[in-house]
Amino acid sequence: MTIQNAVFILLAFMTLVPAALVVTVKNVFHGALFLVLSLTGVAGLFAMIGADFLFVAQILVYAGDILILLLFVVLLSGSPKDWATRSVNEQWMPAIVVSAAFTALLAVLLKALPASPAVPSAAPTTSALGFLLLRDMLVPFEAVSLVLLASLVGAVHFSSKKGDR
Amino acid sequence: MAKGPWSILGAAVPSQEPEAIQRRYRNSFLALAAIFGPLAVIVIGIQLKYGDISLVYQKVFESLTALGLKKGLPIWVPAAVALLIPCVLIATLFHAAPLVLVWWEQKIAAHVQIRMGPMRVGRFHGILQTVADGIKLLLKEDIVPAGADKWVHLLAPVVVVVPAYVAYAPLTFGRGLVGTDLDTGTLFVMAVSGLSTIGLLMAGWGSNNKYSALGGLRAAAQVVSYEIPRVISLLPVVMWAGTLSLSGIAQAQEGLWAGFLPRWFIFYPFVGQVAYLIFLICTVAETNRVPFDIAEAESELVSGFNTEYSGMKFALFFMAEYAYVFLGAAVGTALFFGGGAAPWRFLNFIPSYVWFFGKTCAQVFFIILFRWTYPRMRVDRLMEFCWKFLLPWSLVNVAVAGALILWRMR
Repeated sequence: MTIQNAVFILLAFMTLVPAALVVTVKNVFHGALFLVLSLTGVAGLFAMIGADFLFVAQILVYAGDILILLLFVVLLSGSPKDWATRSVNEQWMPAIVVSAAFTALLAVLLKALPASPAVPSAAPTTSALGFLLLRDMLVPFEAVSLVLLASLVGAVHFSSKKGDR
Repeated sequence: MAKGPWSILGAAVPSQEPEAIQRRYRNSFLALAAIFGPLAVIVIGIQLKYGDISLVYQKVFESLTALGLKKGLPIWVPAAVALLIPCVLIATLFHAAPLVLVWWEQKIAAHVQIRMGPMRVGRFHGILQTVADGIKLLLKEDIVPAGADKWVHLLAPVVVVVPAYVAYAPLTFGRGLVGTDLDTGTLFVMAVSGLSTIGLLMAGWGSNNKYSALGGLRAAAQVVSYEIPRVISLLPVVMWAGTLSLSGIAQAQEGLWAGFLPRWFIFYPFVGQVAYLIFLICTVAETNRVPFDIAEAESELVSGFNTEYSGMKFALFFMAEYAYVFLGAAVGTALFFGGGAAPWRFLNFIPSYVWFFGKTCAQVFFIILFRWTYPRMRVDRLMEFCWKFLLPWSLVNVAVAGALILWRMR
């Protein structure tokens, strides 16, 4: 077993075990904390295949800010009963069937891919990503940001009270 | 001389007679000269004899590799040893920085308030005061509140401190002195230091105390808000330098304008000063220090998120705070003050790491000074200041930087 494989297995466990705990622990706050660990593991996987910009973006956006907002919401809107209830409802049986079917589909798709993992390249990806987003793919990129702007305006519109409009 | 309680560390209560005070001042200057004189001679001597410290490090690594190959060890052993050297140096710096900065903060606070500050422990101006405080904190009982979430309460200081360690990795301490020269260095520091906020929220929630919870919430809201203008204020620097790597940005600031002004980013017209001002304000806010310390706010929240912490867990929060103060100043040095470069070529005999630490400590001095000169801001004003003032101006700054780059390209 090479060092790469050992690190990969470690990161895979770091991603999957907390991900399973997110939906099984009874405490919502603990679940959110496990989600931090899981997303950090994903960032580690990005780093392993040499995607350095994605690694930093994952830490900055997901493990950092989005999870802080999530913990914030748990702290602000959570009531004591949220800290001791199951986060799984009575529909767990159909959910397992659907996820199993989806996993089988993914397994079939994965067979079509080459068996060896992508060769990690040490070359930095930031400038290539920048050229891709801001030159070759400029129009789709701007369209996506327009969608985000629309959702922002919508959130302001719907969250403001009647008198403020 | 009467013996004080800390006489075991060499403390003594000094006499207050005028001649004794005068003698003490003279002895202080002599002691300073005795410490820093030989140190300066050694540092400059190494620089003149062997060249840059990075060259010395390279030589050490080469001889290590040769020795390892001669003994038949695999090639990764010398590589791991060579990686261990910067790791140990960064860890040492990480532990030494709070030790010095806490003492410095006490002294600056005292002198701002026209007092002497710690004067006894360690004989020379209370230099060992922080060591005594550290020993005291280690010996304190570790109290966990009855209703606390034990694991979250235990892990919160760890989650605050570990990202602070990791964020030091891409820092360039001078020419060629870097843990790992990441291509995304600037972004990496910002991203990883943001993770500490999760620890503050954990401390707030795990303590099962309303003051802690309020402090944690305030800290999180503040850090998430101020992170945005902080990152955007660095964009003009990245735009001019064309790289995110901290050492690359430091290299991009080499050279002189009109023969005398260094091409440091702080001297770029308008854009540089505005960017640095926003960056400095946001750095102070990110470390939850006065005037942005609503997360602790002794007069409102007892002590905020660290109310229920004692002993070494409490000390870990403060270690992280001072580590982030130093880190913020170090990033400022790399991005705005040319990193470890001397301003003019004839000053090159002073090693680059001395320049780096000098520039960084000057900024740390101002960050500490802010704490003792400004009153605390109110919560809502704090948020307004970030979203309605800092964020628009940092965006304007990016636009002006873009216009300047366009004009230069014409």
